[in-house]
Amino acid sequence: MKRSIGLLAGAVLVSAWMPAQNAQAQNAVSCPVKLGGILPLTGSMGPVGKRISDSAQLAVKHINEGGGIKGCPVEFILRDDQGQPTVGVDAAKYLVEVERVPAITGSVSSGVTLPILTSVTVPSKVPVVSCCSTAATFTTLAQEGKTGGFFFRTLPTVKTQAYASAKVAADRGFKRVTMIYINTDFGTGMVKDFTKAFNKLGGQVLKTVAYNENQPSYRAEVNSALSDKPDAVFLVAFPQDGATMTREWISLGGTQNLILNNALRTPEYVKAVGGKFLQNAFGMDNASTSGPTVESFKQSFQAAYNASPDGPGIYNQYDAVMILGLAMNLAPDLSGTAIRDAMRKLQSPDATVVGTGPEEFKKAIALIKDGKAIRYSGATGPLEFDANGDVSGAALIWNVKGDQLGTDQTLTVEEMSKLIKQIDG
Amino acid sequence: MGIVSYLIFFAIVVSILSIITLGLNLQWGSTGVFNAGVVGFYAVGGYTYAILTAPGRPELLVNLELPWILGVVGALIASAIAALLVGLATMKLRGDYLAIATFGIAVTIQLIALNWEGLTGGSLGMTSVPRPLSGFFETPFTYNVFYLCLSAGFCLLTYWALERIVRSPWGRVLRAIREDEGAAIALGKDAATLRLQAFVLGSTVMGLAGALYVGFIGFVSPFDFVPIITFQIWTMLIVGGSGNNKGAVLGTLVVWGLWSASGTLISKILPAAFQTQGGAVQTILIGLVLVLTLLFKPGGLIGEEPTTSRHAG
Repeated sequence: MKRSIGLLAGAVLVSAWMPAQNAQAQNAVSCPVKLGGILPLTGSMGPVGKRISDSAQLAVKHINEGGGIKGCPVEFILRDDQGQPTVGVDAAKYLVEVERVPAITGSVSSGVTLPILTSVTVPSKVPVVSCCSTAATFTTLAQEGKTGGFFFRTLPTVKTQAYASAKVAADRGFKRVTMIYINTDFGTGMVKDFTKAFNKLGGQVLKTVAYNENQPSYRAEVNSALSDKPDAVFLVAFPQDGATMTREWISLGGTQNLILNNALRTPEYVKAVGGKFLQNAFGMDNASTSGPTVESFKQSFQAAYNASPDGPGIYNQYDAVMILGLAMNLAPDLSGTAIRDAMRKLQSPDATVVGTGPEEFKKAIALIKDGKAIRYSGATGPLEFDANGDVSGAALIWNVKGDQLGTDQTLTVEEMSKLIKQIDG
Repeated sequence: MGIVSYLIFFAIVVSILSIITLGLNLQWGSTGVFNAGVVGFYAVGGYTYAILTAPGRPELLVNLELPWILGVVGALIASAIAALLVGLATMKLRGDYLAIATFGIAVTIQLIALNWEGLTGGSLGMTSVPRPLSGFFETPFTYNVFYLCLSAGFCLLTYWALERIVRSPWGRVLRAIREDEGAAIALGKDAATLRLQAFVLGSTVMGLAGALYVGFIGFVSPFDFVPIITFQIWTMLIVGGSGNNKGAVLGTLVVWGLWSASGTLISKILPAAFQTQGGAVQTILIGLVLVLTLLFKPGGLIGEEPTTSRHAG
């Protein structure tokens, strides 16, 4: 015991005069270029996290086939956070200090991503791109200048989803809406933003009912939500719980005017509920519009894993890695600050569009070499980060036709920013 | 350099977790009180620190913005009060009944944190919780060196105090209660009160660890206090050696080291195509090592020291 304390103290002393050298050594790029990943592979988010990490691996493969980063192959170092903040933070510190990764992608739960930012990556100036952390707190932190611009996320914030849903609900003539929501930062955020937007657009949220995950039945919640006889119900849930709840809602005589969140846009949910009950339902997702970049991603994912990429976070994670790959190629060196700044250079409106897949990545590298501006249009459609690192993208309204997921309409970037202005004033 | 920086970070986490394990060792190792709600008191300490020190926000009920040291003191007081209330209600229970009751209480505390938005920030948690004296340090590295001194200092203090306590007459009575409560009562010892005292003291120590953890991370959310942490702490104590404070610290170091090192190992040795399965392999590996330790070292790495009075033979 005494000996190890002595060793540690010695190590601290030795290292005290070393940091100065360390800062300069980053300019030269040494192969392979490392990229850190922190995702929940086990624990309660494990089933979701596995598919998401498959998607990240696919993106790394595409980057490598498309020429890598600054001529080097990319080595993706993936760590499991087990859905636990302490484990995630430890993994982040390891990646940043020992592996010296220039950037990290992760994590899924906001409760894991936030401590990673506050205690590791922001002080060390390492950019983090998350596929799935939705909490509004990230926006607040960024506005207060506490992320230093080092945080990005590739999924629409709760706000985009909530506002678009409120608009479509108002357009359909709903006046009185009840919400049943999952009691997480995602659910509560959705309630706050939807209520604000829906009130502004002339509607009224009658009641909000929170539920806790993984229960065999939600009869109590459903009954409570039914009592006011709303025009429509907004269900903020994940597929399994969502399906149980929707079945109970409909069997107890609830309206089939359902408003659904993006996580429910999966074939499993439609199948579990039964397509015929969902003909009046609509939901919002970010514009994974049926563009060629989206289709090409779908096909490569299908081919690589023999599974559909229609699940939470899969599209977004692919984009998170791809855009990091592009930014790291574009950045003059691989320091955190240079990558951070390059991330925002990938979105000028008149630039050449590059899409998904290795061929497009190759094209992007060639364009970067020629000094031409590029813009990334990914698996979730065109991607644009605002000052807080949030994507302000177009919104897709989806519905169910027969037993298939379909597209109802799209709200373009311009329409969305008009809507946000109208609501936020 | 990077390794050193990581090791310092690692040591901070170990010293904080050690404090919890030491608290549990007083309860279980010395007194035989089966607390399965460790994470609850850890959460009370952590949240109290955050609530007292966090910068004011209009949506929060409490906007005191106290200095960090008062946050730590508040965390101690709050976790002591919480433990007293819980203890008064449950100390009559024995063994497995107490375990179920305390487990339920820990889950309740986490759910309160999740749902009482005005107090705790709800599922969004509380951000920008001040990190003690962070203004005085320019780089993350020097700050972490400082924080290691702080957390290791608290850990040593706790260790020293608990060593004194368990070797005092009071500590010997706790041991007597653990071994044979009936006999202790027959000798005129008030077992119920002593058990309660040990429970409150141990839980207060856990609250201290909560405050140090939140102060270090600068953020708190209900995610930080999931029930699995209770089991991790128990594992640390059992592996290290229940009933021995050195064992509690060593167990924390070994188990948390295993947790981190196995993650590193997996990401190093598995080819990219299998990385996604790595998480599962890691969990299996941790389980395997723990089972082997228990099979070959059933009393833990350092078992309890045999206690005989120094006046005897």
